Amino acid sequence: MSARMYSGIFCGAAVALMCVHAVVVHGQGRGAQAAQNRTTEYAIKVMPPGGPPPRLPDGHIDLSGHWLPNSAGQGVSGRDGVDPAARRQFDPRATPEEKPAFQPWAEAKIKAMTPVELELSKSSVNCMPRGLPAIWLQNPYSTVIVHTPTMMAQLYEVLNNWRLVYTDGRPVPKDPEPWFHGTSTTHWEGDTLVVNSSGFDERTYVMPTGWFHSDAMKVTERYTRPSKNYLIVQITVDDPKVLAKPWTSAPRRWTLGNGEVYEFYCTNNHELDELGKLKDQESYGK
Amino acid sequence: MKIARTFTLAVAAAAVVLMTTPSFAHHSFAAEFDASKCRDFTGTLTKVEWTNPHGFFYVDVKDTDGTVHNWSFQTYALITLRRAGTSLQLFKDNIGKEVWVRGCEAKNGRQHYAAAGSLKFAADGVLRQMGQLQD
Repeated sequence: MSARMYSGIFCGAAVALMCVHAVVVHGQGRGAQAAQNRTTEYAIKVMPPGGPPPRLPDGHIDLSGHWLPNSAGQGVSGRDGVDPAARRQFDPRATPEEKPAFQPWAEAKIKAMTPVELELSKSSVNCMPRGLPAIWLQNPYSTVIVHTPTMMAQLYEVLNNWRLVYTDGRPVPKDPEPWFHGTSTTHWEGDTLVVNSSGFDERTYVMPTGWFHSDAMKVTERYTRPSKNYLIVQITVDDPKVLAKPWTSAPRRWTLGNGEVYEFYCTNNHELDELGKLKDQESYGK
Repeated sequence: MKIARTFTLAVAAAAVVLMTTPSFAHHSFAAEFDASKCRDFTGTLTKVEWTNPHGFFYVDVKDTDGTVHNWSFQTYALITLRRAGTSLQLFKDNIGKEVWVRGCEAKNGRQHYAAAGSLKFAADGVLRQMGQLQD
């Protein structure tokens, strides 16, 4: 068989698979249906839509639920037999996530970090609160939302952190104090709850890539629930001191779980000591 | 027949390329543990610490010269272990019994300390993921 024919077969197979895969992961409704049609039987699959979303007494979408950061509605880390489409929160081919455009000084600062410094900056290593917006961008554990017409409580498994977002229309004060989750004001755009926040503690990182932020950062969260089993969260970060232009995440899927919510107090962290020794070795090697 | 086989291989190869998901740049075991120093350990489970952000379990491992060292193995956070079906009770039930561990040693030179990638209790032989596998 000629190399050209092999190449043709490979391309054909790739395109066919790409089509199937794109359908599986693009949109949870069609995705769930396509997942059922796949020949590979995974033990953990893409969650079906689950019917229309519930509504609050005032008619708005009710965002309440136990939400997992994947498309499976259950834990996927450390488990076998998981459909790759069920593992992720978005398909980078269907909804690619843009790269942040940093101011030159900010890019230089991030590039100057050593591998150990980068590691030590991560909330998952140093046990500092994720804060907003990282809690929606770099959180592998679940979040429980309790939503009423006047308030949305977000209970994060990670580090047992929590946040209250008032949805009664109260404005953000002129000079909000620096909180890890900022101070928020909300409004509805149709069935989308828009949360605008400012006033952030500068010790947090937007992403575990060294992406720090300034005191000028403003964050917009857009929450939708297109069906009972799916919560979509999209984040915009506007930080003119650090970014050359605002950055918007992909619409990230969270799926409704019915399993347990676990405690996570960070009380036995060896990593600061262990990485601290490595940092000493890095310094010695310079 | 040959074409069918080739097509199957092509689908498999394409699947590997297409299904590769963007890495969740969360917590890098590679920063702290040495991917070039991963190996198998067999020994006796002596203790478990059911704590966060990581659990730890301890295993008496006999060196080639017959010396026994108590190794400490770091695991995923407990939430991940629990959602994957690994409980504290499983560890308790296997204290004093044989276990097999695939783990990677610490980069900073700390002796007898490693990240566990996977674990088998001899009692049930089930391979359980304990952390990011590095090899």
